[in-house]
Amino acid sequence: MQTWAKKNLLKTLTMAVLSERQGIHRLPQHKYVDAVRWLPPLSAFDRFAVLALFDSDSDSDSYSIEIHSLQQNPLSLHPLSSWTSPSRISSLKTSQFLQKTIIAASTFSGSLHFLFSNSSDASLESEVSVPEGALHSVPVSCVDLMDGGGECVTVGEDGKVNLVSVGNSTLNYRRLFDSSGLVSYTAAKWASPVEFATGGYGFGLQWWDQRKPGGPVSQFKGNRDQKLTSGIVHSIDIHPSRKHTCLAGGSLGTVFAWDLRWQQQPIILSGAGAGAGNTAVQSISESEVWEVQYDRCMKSNTSSTRILPAMICSEDGILAVIEKGEEPIELLAEPCAINSFDIDRNNPLDVICSLEWEAVAILTRQ
Amino acid sequence: MPGVAVASDTVTNGALVPFSDDGTRDSLPIYPLNHGLAAPISRLAISWSRGNSLRVSLFSAEPSSGSPGAAQSGVGGKVVEVKLGGGDPEITDAHLRRIAYGSVPPFALLQSRRSELSVLSKAPSMATTYHIDWWEHVLEYSKEITSLLGGPKSPPNAIIEDPGEIVKTGEDPTCLKAAWELMEIFYADKQSQAWLPERLVDWLADYDSLFSSTQETIHSKLVDFQKELVNIQVIEDDARYWEVMSSALSVGWLDIVVKMLRLHGSYQLDQLSNRELENGLVEALAVLISKMPRNRPESPAGKLGECFKSKPDFTKAWERWRSQITKLDCSPFWIQCDNHQTREGLKNMLQIMLGKTENLCMATCFWLELYVSHFLYIRPFTMGIESMYNLAQKCIQLKPSSRTHRLTGLMIGIIGENTEVVLAECSREFGPWMVAHATELLTAGSEQAEILLHDERFNLGGISIVELHRLAYAQVLSSHALTWQIAPIYLTSCMKQGMGLLENLLYRQSVQHNDMLLKNIEICRLYELDHISSNIMKVAGVYHWKHGRKGAGVFWLQQAQDATRLNRIAQQLFDSVGKSISDESFKQWEGVIELLGSESKLAGGLEFLHKYRDFKKSLQQLSSGKSTDAARQATGSLILLMKNPSTPQRFWLPLLFDSLKLLNWHDCPLLNVSETNLLLNKLQELSLARLRPHFIKPNLPPEAISSIRLALATNLGRAILDE
Repeated sequence: MQTWAKKNLLKTLTMAVLSERQGIHRLPQHKYVDAVRWLPPLSAFDRFAVLALFDSDSDSDSYSIEIHSLQQNPLSLHPLSSWTSPSRISSLKTSQFLQKTIIAASTFSGSLHFLFSNSSDASLESEVSVPEGALHSVPVSCVDLMDGGGECVTVGEDGKVNLVSVGNSTLNYRRLFDSSGLVSYTAAKWASPVEFATGGYGFGLQWWDQRKPGGPVSQFKGNRDQKLTSGIVHSIDIHPSRKHTCLAGGSLGTVFAWDLRWQQQPIILSGAGAGAGNTAVQSISESEVWEVQYDRCMKSNTSSTRILPAMICSEDGILAVIEKGEEPIELLAEPCAINSFDIDRNNPLDVICSLEWEAVAILTRQ
Repeated sequence: MPGVAVASDTVTNGALVPFSDDGTRDSLPIYPLNHGLAAPISRLAISWSRGNSLRVSLFSAEPSSGSPGAAQSGVGGKVVEVKLGGGDPEITDAHLRRIAYGSVPPFALLQSRRSELSVLSKAPSMATTYHIDWWEHVLEYSKEITSLLGGPKSPPNAIIEDPGEIVKTGEDPTCLKAAWELMEIFYADKQSQAWLPERLVDWLADYDSLFSSTQETIHSKLVDFQKELVNIQVIEDDARYWEVMSSALSVGWLDIVVKMLRLHGSYQLDQLSNRELENGLVEALAVLISKMPRNRPESPAGKLGECFKSKPDFTKAWERWRSQITKLDCSPFWIQCDNHQTREGLKNMLQIMLGKTENLCMATCFWLELYVSHFLYIRPFTMGIESMYNLAQKCIQLKPSSRTHRLTGLMIGIIGENTEVVLAECSREFGPWMVAHATELLTAGSEQAEILLHDERFNLGGISIVELHRLAYAQVLSSHALTWQIAPIYLTSCMKQGMGLLENLLYRQSVQHNDMLLKNIEICRLYELDHISSNIMKVAGVYHWKHGRKGAGVFWLQQAQDATRLNRIAQQLFDSVGKSISDESFKQWEGVIELLGSESKLAGGLEFLHKYRDFKKSLQQLSSGKSTDAARQATGSLILLMKNPSTPQRFWLPLLFDSLKLLNWHDCPLLNVSETNLLLNKLQELSLARLRPHFIKPNLPPEAISSIRLALATNLGRAILDE
């Protein structure tokens, strides 16, 4: 009780200061928000967000993906269209391809769905799906859509790595690898049209190349001697300009970068395990880092050895920007968990995030 | 519920009807079941489901063998969920959850302040300041909760005011908010104790509309009149105009009264000249009303009435005001006023302001309004709560009502200073959220209440009433998939049974999905419940292992530092490794071996895999080159493996067979005498083990043993020669 209250008392005080400085809007949804993304912009004026929702009020639990339009003065979200999912959404990504906006969503039952939205008014037009069992037998841990392409990678705890290519109305999928459960994957991210990275237990990272099937091309395992305590990778990001560096976030507030050129030396950006005897590393959170993304709006010096600033959200309610050797910048400190966030690509000052207590927060940085 | 049973015949109609003997049939809720079963129902089982719902399992009767048609239609059974009522009719579940989330931070803050203060108050010098400050903390807590229960009382003022709008209809207030504010007025806000009656006047002004659900109220009269307003030609000739105005005046809604008075026909420009006297009277009254002295520090901005903070000032102003009213009442102008309706209406309003009981009784609709009008016009100098209860009784007698509103019960409990009644009303009418949070206000109210609520009771199993209600609320939170995470905050504030229930709650959560599992473990970390999190990790490990996710299973068992289970699963793992031993597919084990890491202490029996991998690697390097150094290194790992007690016996032979090349190394013998002896002994042990029943035969050519023996013997010979 005491620890909780103290932590939150501090949060309340900092938030009072932060709220003044920045535009923070908390929008209650009356449903649990599993994931949230910006929709790639269709025009300069309209903006849309995609929400994966879980409604516990109806007689039987219902799951849906909703597209909301963002309106100013006062800032609010208005539902535009909705699609009912057969199962709870485990991962959600958006991309633009063939003048269409694609939303890829994977579910707890192992199915994968692609929703196409109209390019003029963002309404949902069609849906194609891969039924449960075809790709994964268990929840799909993560999906990632290639930027501006129809390629999608899915990974799961069952140790399967699948590639799905989306055409106009067709789907082709193939299994790239199956570890038969010996290794579980919890995160995935495209690096280039042929390469991608995955993450899993024990802060393990794998680098894959479609042209070289049969296993990962390269592997990284965080060991104690590298000042990383054991945990799970929840999210990976790779910057288009730094394809050799893989940014990963996971348990115990850990955020680290893995450079393929210096394979066994991770660069630790944050982490509780890193704190002991390593005062150079600031640790902003002690719990699960649910998502990491390179902060698209930070203009840092662009020396190629430097790790670009990254935004993280965590179970203990922190949304922050961290950079190697710099003081972390706290953007939000909520009394509840922040489960996912997304930075608007065209307007990187705007961040949307989903809060544990059935709400969405929209942040406009100055 | 005692005396409730299910009549078996009612089940066949498809409805589940509880009944009791005492004839309170209409108060019993009936829940129809849509089970769609055609056959008669033979068995019925009821259990609690998630949240406030019942799970009813219905089994239809076995069809008689003679009717095959019945076998196709609806045989078997069905499980239906019945959501029980009892929730607040005004507030949806989703809104209630929002309130629950929002009340967590203020509650937790108040609890931590309490524990801080209890530490401080142990020092005698601090004991006095403790009580002075405490209600301020409670008030702050109360204000934050109030802000959760609804938006601002009135919507922001429109720039152009509608002259016809008498009552502002903003956001609908809720009973929950009204009840909370009532408790705040009486228990938390010590500063306003001196002008308690005025707070009640304001409270009624905000929430009078709520009482419209059970009876006519002044608010509902006003709203009705406003609807009619457009159809009325000459307003002062309408009896309702005067009636509504005097009603509003009786409960002190001065702004509304003055606004309505100015609608009087005599204000119209074309009539001003010939109704000068009449208009003068109306305006005189309007001015008097807007100058009414009020015993309060301040009014909300733009409200009429003059405020006096100190009692003597107020008394002086009140007397002056009253004398002005009396003067107007006796004025000769009344006789000259020829408009009968206006004269009578204004006179009636003057009587109200002079505090004539019959006029007040006529003007008000129910006892609470009459009660408030008493404070305004008959007993403006009321202080404190002592006389308030008797006055309430008197008002109830004057204005008896057939149906009691749920706020009325709470009000009477509060005025009667009966903590038990207040608690019971909160619990019955407003549910567990209200009781759990309102006890903070009650205990701040008086020392007596604090003792009553914090006293540990034998009949409650040694816990206090406060704890009982918190536990009940925590149970409600725990039963919902979205709110269970905030239940620990309430459970940990319960000294006696909270931790036990928290352990139960944490154990009950599913380990299937990583995210939920990790949220669960995070709560354990926050409350330093390491033994529970390690048990949860064990459960998760076994779950993943059983479902074929070996890597995840090993990870969780490692996190839980569960050597016993790791050893057990190691044996199973070796079975599958053993099969693919000579294969290239050993590569797929890399992942698990990487996961195990180099710390052998965490891996249990699985450390063998790591060493085995290293050995395999050095053997592979050997096949590419012919360096003796590499061979020596490989031999070193072989000896280490064979010496290690955790190396399973079934791997001995394959290991030796794989290292034939090392044993027959042509440059020099790689093993010395004692090492060769060790291996020979192991080989001997193996031949003996072959005779035992549970021996697992390795998948090797039959001549393996003899070729190893030969190689070892050769090596021994060479080694002896070397030494």
